[in-house]
Amino acid sequence: MKELDGWRTQARLLQFTWDRDLAAAYGAELISPGSYRLASILRLIRQQGILSRAHIPHHFFHEPSIRKKVLAAFGTEGRAYVLTSSARYGQYLQLEISVEARGLQKKESLHTVIVNLSSGQVLKFALPPHLLQAGGVEPELINKRKCSLKQAYLRAAEHLSREFAGEDQSWAQKAREKMALEEEKLQAFFQGKTSSPEFAAKQEELRRRLQPVLAINALRAALVYAPLFHYRLVVVSAGGRERTKTATYDPIANLCALD
Amino acid sequence: MLTFFRQVSPGWSRKESDTILQELSYGQFTVQVLADGFRQVMAHLRAGKFDTWGWYQLARRADELAAVQNQAPGLLALEHLKERWQQAGVIPYEHQIKTAERVIHSMHGQAILADEVGLGKTVEAGLILKEYLLRGLVKKVLILTPANLIWQWYQELYEKFGIAAGIQRTRWDWEYANVLIASIDTAKREPHAYIIAGIVYDLLIVDEAHKLKNSSTASYRLVNSIQKKYCLMLTATPVQNDLKELYNLIGLIKPGQLGSYQTFKKRFMAAKRTPKNPAELRRILDQVMIRNRREEGEIRFTERIVHPLIVTLGPKEQEIYKRVTEFIKARGRRTGLGNMLPLITLQREVCSTFLATALTLEKMLVGLSQDELAEAAALLKDLAEVKQNSKCDALERLVAQFRDKAIIFTEYKASQEYIRYRLEKAGYRTLAFDGSLSRGQKQYVRHLFQKDAQFLVSTESGGEGLNFQFCNLVVNFDLPWNPMRLEQRIGRVHRLGQTRDVHIYNLITKGTVEEHIMYLLHQKINMFESIIGELDAILLHLNLGSSFESEIMKIFLEHEETEQIRRQLDQLARRILQGRAAVKASSWEGLL
Repeated sequence: MKELDGWRTQARLLQFTWDRDLAAAYGAELISPGSYRLASILRLIRQQGILSRAHIPHHFFHEPSIRKKVLAAFGTEGRAYVLTSSARYGQYLQLEISVEARGLQKKESLHTVIVNLSSGQVLKFALPPHLLQAGGVEPELINKRKCSLKQAYLRAAEHLSREFAGEDQSWAQKAREKMALEEEKLQAFFQGKTSSPEFAAKQEELRRRLQPVLAINALRAALVYAPLFHYRLVVVSAGGRERTKTATYDPIANLCALD
Repeated sequence: MLTFFRQVSPGWSRKESDTILQELSYGQFTVQVLADGFRQVMAHLRAGKFDTWGWYQLARRADELAAVQNQAPGLLALEHLKERWQQAGVIPYEHQIKTAERVIHSMHGQAILADEVGLGKTVEAGLILKEYLLRGLVKKVLILTPANLIWQWYQELYEKFGIAAGIQRTRWDWEYANVLIASIDTAKREPHAYIIAGIVYDLLIVDEAHKLKNSSTASYRLVNSIQKKYCLMLTATPVQNDLKELYNLIGLIKPGQLGSYQTFKKRFMAAKRTPKNPAELRRILDQVMIRNRREEGEIRFTERIVHPLIVTLGPKEQEIYKRVTEFIKARGRRTGLGNMLPLITLQREVCSTFLATALTLEKMLVGLSQDELAEAAALLKDLAEVKQNSKCDALERLVAQFRDKAIIFTEYKASQEYIRYRLEKAGYRTLAFDGSLSRGQKQYVRHLFQKDAQFLVSTESGGEGLNFQFCNLVVNFDLPWNPMRLEQRIGRVHRLGQTRDVHIYNLITKGTVEEHIMYLLHQKINMFESIIGELDAILLHLNLGSSFESEIMKIFLEHEETEQIRRQLDQLARRILQGRAAVKASSWEGLL
């Protein structure tokens, strides 16, 4: 890891420990919990890596097996022959999202959500990390996006919201109850003059403080290019009729799209 | 590109605000899809700026670490500030930590911090602020304080909490600084009040909040109009004269906590000063107010050790003292007790230095009658001829024994200059500290005193707003007549953070009014050795406040004999002690 104080600095390994013996044994820096130095380094690291790219190379997948699978998909229609094949990439947006459940207390959790930019669908599984390689791919090999990045982010947020809605909501309920109680007191204080701007301002303050909110914020994102195997085929039916078809196989989703 | 972002807080600069991309209702909660992080991603994309995959993965790990840290129970700030506090020698007290935890975890960031004087309310507020900043719950913070405390706040936040707050100087600062310290008097004036009203603050801190006890004042209206999520009010005296003050203060924090004023009056007020249902009222107050008391906590203040030093005036000085006192009494009899201020000043100055006396007498010449004029002119001439100053001689002898820094207090600028002249001549390094210094200069003088000089010669005005815990020697060159002013002087060094016993040396000129003052303050009400935390409340209770000096002057003007004066002072002391007992036993003291 490079020390984070300038690009000219030589790369060097920084080791921190809370344990005096380990510090002596490994020559690591002895720090106390809550160390300012460690906190500063973490803060600087978190400012990096806002947007990155990675890809999964085609050669990780066994193409003859895929070809076999695709041809088999046309088995009911007749015999199929591959005319041309090409290796392309589909685009995914991998978002690292912080979700803060703000009720009477705040609880933060981190989530990785991946959105397929071709279909706009949120993946129900993670991209296999051991297959991901750093960097992008040739632009001409990338399929066009059908979903904007903003739409993808909103889809990811929607997906997380649904997940949270299906979980324990007692944190939100408690906050709502407290808010209702405080609002009652506020109304008593204003003695029915609830149309005054002052009442509205105080009510807004109350809402800002106690309303249960799920705050979703993207911390960083990566464009991930996953392989697609594209085939042009000729399908010969039992009657000898020939039709040209296309098929795209997505090895990540294990899906074959036929046209 | 940014047009689709809805600005949540229109008053803020766009850069700093939380913008919401989409808001949806989901069952019990509202979902806010924030734009901040995503906007950064888009900015990188537009610039074609891709970080390496290694950085991305490392940053993800760092996010996880930070999130785990942020989930920790208790106070994150304690761990975070450990190193800083070790270096700065700060040791937080148990009551301060408990207060911060209670405000954050149980009171949802809305509280009146009403600890007794000297228990470190600023540290409690700083701890709460730091915790909220670390947990990412506040960004925009406003601290309103009396102007003379701005620098002290700035310094405490920076040194103890590593918070680099801004100090408000221009109208633009309100919007641009994230943590801003400002004078409440500036804030309530236009255009500032208008600008502030348009900003949504995450946290508002108001120091010396008892100044907001009256709901018809501009300060109250300002604080009431500020849009805030969390709010802390700091005061040692949340109620002084009337329970309505308490009602008003709580109305700012949590309107409705005590119901409408009519309801409150009916349920909780038997009279202005006497509550009904005190147990019930206390239960409700507990939800919004925290009051730590000296006797409850683990805090052990160091001792105050008083050394009275009797100074005998030379014959010439004694004669001048008698003539000035006679002149004052004669003038007092002639003009009545209505306008006593110049006479009080003169009587006090004659116990300090003749230089100060002469300057005041000179100013008084304009309004004097023919006979008085002749007497005053003769006095002035004689004052100028006195070369001896027995008190300063005694001071020189005293400081020669000191092995440490000392603060020498005097009430008068002329005396201050004379003392410095004498001490510098004797080879000591001295510094002047008074109300003519700017805030920055005061800080610098404090710094120089800590690092270099031996003696700080301070006037009363210099006593407010700054703390000198690194010094434990106080010399009262002259005695203020008002015990509150004396408490302020001693309070500069004898407070939280003082690790040594504080020695107080009082220079008392024999056979003068000072002897009587010492008799009252030391022997009768034991002002020096005991901390009268509720002193201001006592004086208010007795309706003495600023008229305390007049009360004493009246005794001196109306009585000649020492015996008579002592009897009167005994009576006054009895009143103070009774007042103290009454305040302690008063119904709201039981409440708080």
